[in-house]
Amino acid sequence: MTRPAVDRPSWLTPRSRWGLIVLAAIAFSLWQARVFEPNRFNVGGIPQLLRFVQASVQPDLSLDFLQLTLDAAIVTFAYAVCGTFFSIVFGCVGGILASEVWWVSVLPRHATRPIWLGIRATLAVPRAIHELIWGLFFVNLFGLDPLVAIVAIAVPYGAIVAKVFSEILDETPRQPLIALLNSGVAPFTAFLYTLLPQAFLDLLSYTFYRFECSVRSAAVLGIIGAGGLGYQILLSLQSLRYEQLWTLFYALFLLNGAIDFFSAWLRRRLGSPSRLDLNLRKQARSRGSGGSLPDAHPARQPPERDRWLVAVGLGGLLLLPFSFWYVGADFSKLWSARTLELLGDVAQTAFPPNLDQSQWQLGMVAVQTVAMSILAIAIAGCGGILLSFPAAHTFFLPGGLFTPAQPSWRDRVLAWTGVLGTRAALLIARAVPAPIWALVALFVLFPGILPGAIALALHNMGILGRLMAESNENLDPRPLVALKAQGTPAALVFLYGVLPMTLTRSIAYILYRWEVCLRETVIVGLVGAGGLGRLLTEQLSSFDYRRVVVTLGWFVILTFGVDWVSGAMRRSLR
Amino acid sequence: MTLPAPLFELRQVTQQFDRSLALRNITLQIFPGERVALVGSSGTGKSTLIQLLNGTLLPSQGEVWALGHSLSQGSSRQRRQVQRQIGTIYQQFHLVDTLPVIHNVNAGRLGQWSFFKAAVSLLYPLEVEAAAKALHRVGIPEKLYARTDQLSGGQQQRVAIARVLRQDPVAILADEPVSSLDPELSREVMALLRELVQEMGKTLVISLHSIELAQQYCDRIIGLRDGTILFDIPSFALSAERIRDLYRLREPG
Repeated sequence: MTRPAVDRPSWLTPRSRWGLIVLAAIAFSLWQARVFEPNRFNVGGIPQLLRFVQASVQPDLSLDFLQLTLDAAIVTFAYAVCGTFFSIVFGCVGGILASEVWWVSVLPRHATRPIWLGIRATLAVPRAIHELIWGLFFVNLFGLDPLVAIVAIAVPYGAIVAKVFSEILDETPRQPLIALLNSGVAPFTAFLYTLLPQAFLDLLSYTFYRFECSVRSAAVLGIIGAGGLGYQILLSLQSLRYEQLWTLFYALFLLNGAIDFFSAWLRRRLGSPSRLDLNLRKQARSRGSGGSLPDAHPARQPPERDRWLVAVGLGGLLLLPFSFWYVGADFSKLWSARTLELLGDVAQTAFPPNLDQSQWQLGMVAVQTVAMSILAIAIAGCGGILLSFPAAHTFFLPGGLFTPAQPSWRDRVLAWTGVLGTRAALLIARAVPAPIWALVALFVLFPGILPGAIALALHNMGILGRLMAESNENLDPRPLVALKAQGTPAALVFLYGVLPMTLTRSIAYILYRWEVCLRETVIVGLVGAGGLGRLLTEQLSSFDYRRVVVTLGWFVILTFGVDWVSGAMRRSLR
Repeated sequence: MTLPAPLFELRQVTQQFDRSLALRNITLQIFPGERVALVGSSGTGKSTLIQLLNGTLLPSQGEVWALGHSLSQGSSRQRRQVQRQIGTIYQQFHLVDTLPVIHNVNAGRLGQWSFFKAAVSLLYPLEVEAAAKALHRVGIPEKLYARTDQLSGGQQQRVAIARVLRQDPVAILADEPVSSLDPELSREVMALLRELVQEMGKTLVISLHSIELAQQYCDRIIGLRDGTILFDIPSFALSAERIRDLYRLREPG
């Protein structure tokens, strides 16, 4: 008998070590959420929850209310359009300025590292603060003006877009740019002729994705009084008019569903990579290719001149002036004397930061916040992974990997119901803003970090599940077909093929999304779930800027910490 | 004297894809122990033929029989029973990149293993000795626990062969297994395949770009052109004229 030439590797790999840490962290978070204590459920809330669920089949369809819903939906949509527009403008400028390649081109013989690293670090601050906090801040500045929603989206999103754009630019092959620069072309012109067209598809694809996110954010911002669907939903929920609430929910599903569908359609039409791939490509590239294996996916075809695309592009351009006209924001407030005065006041009242309060106590709240984010992302990740398989159309639909060669009529109906049902569930999960999920969870749960975590989990599960389903659909089918060809049953094709091929990427993306979850703990804090978010909202609404600065400081530290841990874990996955 | 029953049989098989015709009215028998090379230029239906033989494709017309069963009839369970006896090696290896080598090798047994056993093995590799033996056989015993995507192309092809060894099928199909490898590696892999097939008395059907390799390692050569069989002869009977014929462009009209 041949003895294995190599010993079984030790159990303790960096990966398994992180796995243990993750399990411990989840257990700790559950303990923090007091899941193990009795009486976590408010049984008295069950009738109300039932009434809420019942109302889903009898939404308010009166003409008046439908008109109001339509108006609110257009407002939310218009906020998203305007917000995306500004964030892309900021993002383009900031993205170029924060990219290494720009500074290397402009100042070729200087040490430019401190410059772009400095700009990136500066961008991290607006990014760490959730748009809702920005919203609350701008409400104090501008009053209840549509401007609040637009600027509150534009500021953090601008920073996010700048970061992603700069990364895309830095990853784009540089040889053409260098060739032009070496022949004496000015840097910006050289950019226009090389990097920007090269990276255009990726940038555009990311823009669409940002727009999807903007719509969700615009709905959340409604909650602080900025109007739109979020605002109406909150009003109906508070006045217990569940029938109206469901009308608004359905409008939200339609809006989100239409935009997600449209954006996915456009990206597919343009042949651009999925969001997940865009995010993880850097990782794949740094891993280096192991063998002579060619790229799993065939080279991207340049899009032909596509009449549909042109029509859609023109339509999109027309939507922009329409949106600005519809929201009617008072942009003069941005530079009015009064705003400057108020800003000066805020700056004055915010300093010096109030450090009298017990930092120990704040630290405990910070730990709770992290626990909430861990629970949320753990539930969202598991749920998202599970649902991403039935939601992908390449597995169970006729002609799919796991379908019999000649499916019966019944098989087909079942398969379609499964796929569409899962997709609808994911859509509902992500379309409803997290604070609204939190309010629903508060029907039957006592306030604390548990309802907050559940709310964030549901919302993020919808987002993760969809992204992962998209990436499942783009899976290289060949290894799976090979397994199938040797007579492997479907369940084992899944276990030895689909799962290992997707799991690493999915987990990497979940870890990335954890940072987003942490940011979002703020918005469920707003409605009474615990954590720093709740504290921050209280301080902001009482204009206690000296404390706000301290809490924000904690928040920024947490964000950097989570960023670092998530980065280290992602590296161990490679 | 009667001939033994054919291992594979194609009866008037036509394979139609969306717009193109890949194979046209093919009738063919392959007997146990034969080493058959499929040759011809790209796009003449060599891969399609291999995919028909292992049941990945079902023919548009006609019937494919393997080991005495029709692949287009019967339940998917019955088809899997037949497929377990047919191992396939591909040009691009078709391994699951992110798994350690041992799981890709053990994947050859998935037709036999229970779900439970397969699941446990992913966490705590089972039948390690057999997997190590297969890897030893293909010359890379030290790669047992390496991640598959960290191997070179030649090594990955060896893993794919080890997977087929673990499957221990009656017939081995190979779809241009050496086209991604350099000439030196190609010869090594071909020699390995012939050795394994001869030693264990298996049947080999292999599509090749190189006529030279086909002549050297196989005993029967089937030339495909435009989806039809141009010739089906013993290796020694292959003439320069036939080869010229095989690669001649189709005359216009």
